[in-house]
Amino acid sequence: MFIDIQNLSFTYSNSSMKAINDISFTVEKGEVISILGRSGSGKSTILRIIAGLEMPNGGSFILNGKKIMDTRTFIQPEKRGIGMVFQDYALFPHMNVEENILFGLSKMSRNDKKKRTNEVLELVELEGFEKRYPHQLSGGQQQRVALARAIAPEPDLILLDEPFSNLDTDLQVKIRGDLRRILKKANTTAIFVTHNVNDAHALADRIVKIKDGKIEKIGRPCDLLGLSTSELPSTVEKASEELLTV
Amino acid sequence: MKKSLIFLLVTMMLVLSACGSAGNTSSTNEATKTGSEVDSGEVNLYTSRHYDVDNELYKKFEEETGIKVNVIKGEADELIERIKREGTATKADILLTADVGRLYRAKEDGLLQAASSDTLSKQVPSNYRDNDDMWVGLTKRARVLVYNKDKVKPEELSTYEALTDDEWKGRVLVRSSESVYNQSLLASFIEINGEEKAKEWAQGIVNNFARNPEGGDRDQAKAIAAGIGDVAIMNTYYFGQMLNSQEPEEVKVAENLGVFFPNQETTGAHVNISGAGVVKGSKNADNALKLLEFLTGEEAQAEFASANYEYPVNNNVEPSELLKSWGEFKEQDIPLSTLGENNAKAIMIFNEVGWK
Amino acid sequence: MNRYLANVNGWTIGAILIIILLFVPNVSIVTGIFSPASENWAHIKEYMLLKYIKSSLTLVFFTALFTGAIGLSLAWLIAQYDFPLRNFMKWALILPLSIPPFIGAYTYHGIVNYTGVIQKTLRNQFDITPNPAFFDIMNVPGAIFIYTIFLYPYVYMITRIFLSHQSASLIESARTLGKGPWEIFSKVVIPISRVSIIGGVSLVVLEVLNDYGVVKYFGIQTFSTAIFQTWFGLGDLDSSIKLAASLMGIVIFILIIERLLRGGKQYSYSTTKVRPLPLVKLKGKSAVFATIYTLIIFSVAFLIPVIQLIDWVILTFGKVPMEEVLTYTKNSVTVAVISATLIIVFSLIVGNFSRIVHHKLAKLLPKLTILGYSIPGAVIAVAVVTTFIALDRNFAPIYQFFGVESALVLSVSLFMLISAYVIRFFAIGYNSIESGFDKIGTDFRDASRMLGANSMRTFFKIDVPMMKGAIISGFVLVFVDILKEIPLTLILRPFNYDTLATKAFQYASDEKIMEASQASLLIVGVSAIAIIVFHKLLREEP
Repeated sequence: MFIDIQNLSFTYSNSSMKAINDISFTVEKGEVISILGRSGSGKSTILRIIAGLEMPNGGSFILNGKKIMDTRTFIQPEKRGIGMVFQDYALFPHMNVEENILFGLSKMSRNDKKKRTNEVLELVELEGFEKRYPHQLSGGQQQRVALARAIAPEPDLILLDEPFSNLDTDLQVKIRGDLRRILKKANTTAIFVTHNVNDAHALADRIVKIKDGKIEKIGRPCDLLGLSTSELPSTVEKASEELLTV
Repeated sequence: MKKSLIFLLVTMMLVLSACGSAGNTSSTNEATKTGSEVDSGEVNLYTSRHYDVDNELYKKFEEETGIKVNVIKGEADELIERIKREGTATKADILLTADVGRLYRAKEDGLLQAASSDTLSKQVPSNYRDNDDMWVGLTKRARVLVYNKDKVKPEELSTYEALTDDEWKGRVLVRSSESVYNQSLLASFIEINGEEKAKEWAQGIVNNFARNPEGGDRDQAKAIAAGIGDVAIMNTYYFGQMLNSQEPEEVKVAENLGVFFPNQETTGAHVNISGAGVVKGSKNADNALKLLEFLTGEEAQAEFASANYEYPVNNNVEPSELLKSWGEFKEQDIPLSTLGENNAKAIMIFNEVGWK
Repeated sequence: MNRYLANVNGWTIGAILIIILLFVPNVSIVTGIFSPASENWAHIKEYMLLKYIKSSLTLVFFTALFTGAIGLSLAWLIAQYDFPLRNFMKWALILPLSIPPFIGAYTYHGIVNYTGVIQKTLRNQFDITPNPAFFDIMNVPGAIFIYTIFLYPYVYMITRIFLSHQSASLIESARTLGKGPWEIFSKVVIPISRVSIIGGVSLVVLEVLNDYGVVKYFGIQTFSTAIFQTWFGLGDLDSSIKLAASLMGIVIFILIIERLLRGGKQYSYSTTKVRPLPLVKLKGKSAVFATIYTLIIFSVAFLIPVIQLIDWVILTFGKVPMEEVLTYTKNSVTVAVISATLIIVFSLIVGNFSRIVHHKLAKLLPKLTILGYSIPGAVIAVAVVTTFIALDRNFAPIYQFFGVESALVLSVSLFMLISAYVIRFFAIGYNSIESGFDKIGTDFRDASRMLGANSMRTFFKIDVPMMKGAIISGFVLVFVDILKEIPLTLILRPFNYDTLATKAFQYASDEKIMEASQASLLIVGVSAIAIIVFHKLLREEP
């Protein structure tokens, strides 16, 4: 098993309610998982706990055979080998595209860094944008830079927080396809959080549905809806949207 | 970054260790009382006088004797507080203030030590020296009446007390009671006339105010020129400054005013001194004494008199021409230390009669 | 699992140590409030306290009102409109901050008094003798005027930065809804800038409560007068510390009000989405009005007093010893730079701690350091001297070990003065740094750590460069404040150590304002250079 998460629970310091309650699931290498839920369901918190940005009250997390977190262990986020794409991308505004990507590549030779930067930019189809600053890019381009930056250090796992929420609708569909292609091509294990059932179905190998901090269902998209991935045509989109409106 | 963190840690260690034993000062005092202080020969001076002429005199002293003078300037009360807190370890050798009340306070707090010599006794008359030789006067200033030559004849003026008469209603100018000069003036009345009379006087002046007190001594003179009032209580020192101002307009104002020494027939005009004492625990009491002798010597006294429009305390030195032109005058005949003794009482009276 | 374990790192330790360092000297003041009343206390209460509190509150209220109004109106004009001289005024309107209020008071009195240039000219050139009462500024309204013109830049600076960076979408949407400029101003600009106005005004209020120079010269009795009357006049330091502690109580009260008014609102944005507000070009009458308005404020608050100072410098040229001026200037700049740097470094450590540790105390503790700014400098001086002498006593064995003969080492060194500055002005630097941290939020920090950068690298490569503006503005504010500072510098400096401020004070306190003009003008000059450099550095930001 590549990722093993057991009995995760979490309470915010200013509340007594459990934001996350006894969450367990596993992920295989190369799998793309979607955590699906409404806003406030605790799905982003799960992502932040996996990233190491929040500390849970209890639970354990093993990544690629390495113990990342349990009752006695807590590996700092920068040591986990996990990449993350933030909801608003968090591209460093004082650095250009190249510098943003290079920031994560600290333990390489200069040549390797250059090579890797070119690779990931090619992967996200942004060659020639190296010297641009974030504010000179469109929303879709920013998102792809954020993705390239997260992939560049070759993390064991990549996390994506609402990757499409800041994009136009027609852009969403295109990027969704691109994203799955890029993730599969890089053979990256990924967990992404979304409130949009279409995104989840289009991207994920498996979906973890969260409600009120608990797992409601886990399964392949087709299992959850009784349809296979290949049969997921646009007709379903409308129906499912009605079912799970956010 | 590392550096600053280390710096920070060191600082913190210092502070924390201080908290640990700030309470038992008595035992730590002993540690400092080793008595093995090396006599560097330098004289450390805490002074509340800020005049350029003072600095020049220190320099001259250095040239003549080879003894270096180090200076910290500040408000007298802050300096006294600092010496108090430094305790026996203090670096101060001399405390110099522009008001005898503060010297009295320092003496009462046990911060001064006796220092006397034949030279000092010869140079400074005994009424400008402390009974116990704890401090010695350096210069003196008189608090006098200044009047509008056009509107007031000198014959109309007589005493501080007469200013409370009805004929002066709305004509008297004086600065706020926060000024130490006013405080020692009232303190002298408490000594001479008793507390009750002094309060009556203060009340009478308040009733005759030309306006609510504002500004400094110079501003009172200007207010006469502007026609706000006719007579002001102010220091000779500031009047001298105005007559020699760089601003021709100020000179013009001062020239239209007359100086009157009040109470010449009765108790005498009020005088306050700048003075200095040797600090208890001084590491250089000998050199400190030398500096006091120098400052009261004829050469230094002449400098004080000419550069700063102050009266010398050394009888062998003549006041400046300007001061002489105002004539000789009779001074209050009270021990100067009473100005300090009555200071707090004076302030309370000011507050009670509403003298701002 | 200990939830806070991950947060106990260098930052936490560093921050807590700094906060303790800032607190220790103040403890002696806080405890003063509980000390038994002396025999003077009844007198103080009856004749001083109530009356003085009333005039203090009058000063505070009107100064707050006027600095708020002027600061906000200027910020709005500069942030939203383009008009002749706008680019010059943008930074020139900060310059009045470089004039210490007590110098400003002396200077203005020098201009309008009987022998001042106005009455003199009227009298001698035109043979008009105006009613001198008309020119009397040595009263409560006069003091409010002085405070307002020399302190409004606090409000202006903070509000302008807020308006030009954070209001674009709000103001633009108001415009598209067909609202006129006045309506936008009253319905949109004022409400959204509330937080920054209050932030600026509270700095002004603290300055006013604390000031002694202006009110003493003008003969106005305020709370700080009461503190010093009690100490200097009655010789009762304990009662005066008790008063200072009550003042601290008032300040805490004001801070709580400020918190409540702010309502826990935090404005955090992610930089990629922030758009500067595009300028609207004013034409015709309104352009002329805008230019004249800003020009009047600039002239009254800076140009006129500076010209008067220059005039006096020329008048007294050669009379004031010149040779040591360079030394004073060097001394002033050195201590100000060292102290301001320390304050900014400390603020960054504490600010980062407050941001990353999710605990109420982590937010509250740094706020309390503002107490240092609320206590009169002279009272802090007493507390600092006490602390340092205690330090020296503790170190006596160490000194002896190193063969230092003297028992007082730290307390006669520049170190003591610098520490006192840090305690006093930490709040000013921290205010700026905290708002910088607020602005960048935590996403960039998280992103950096997810890219494998540890806390240190994140701090230096991400946080610090992104907060350049906040760091520079905090530094300049502190630098200018230290350059002007009087009571601490006077009493805590080492032997023979003079600065521009002590020189200016030395003459001014002896009613020799003309002789004080040289040092005053240098304070203004050095501060003005700092402000201009600050402006240039900020403009180069992408």
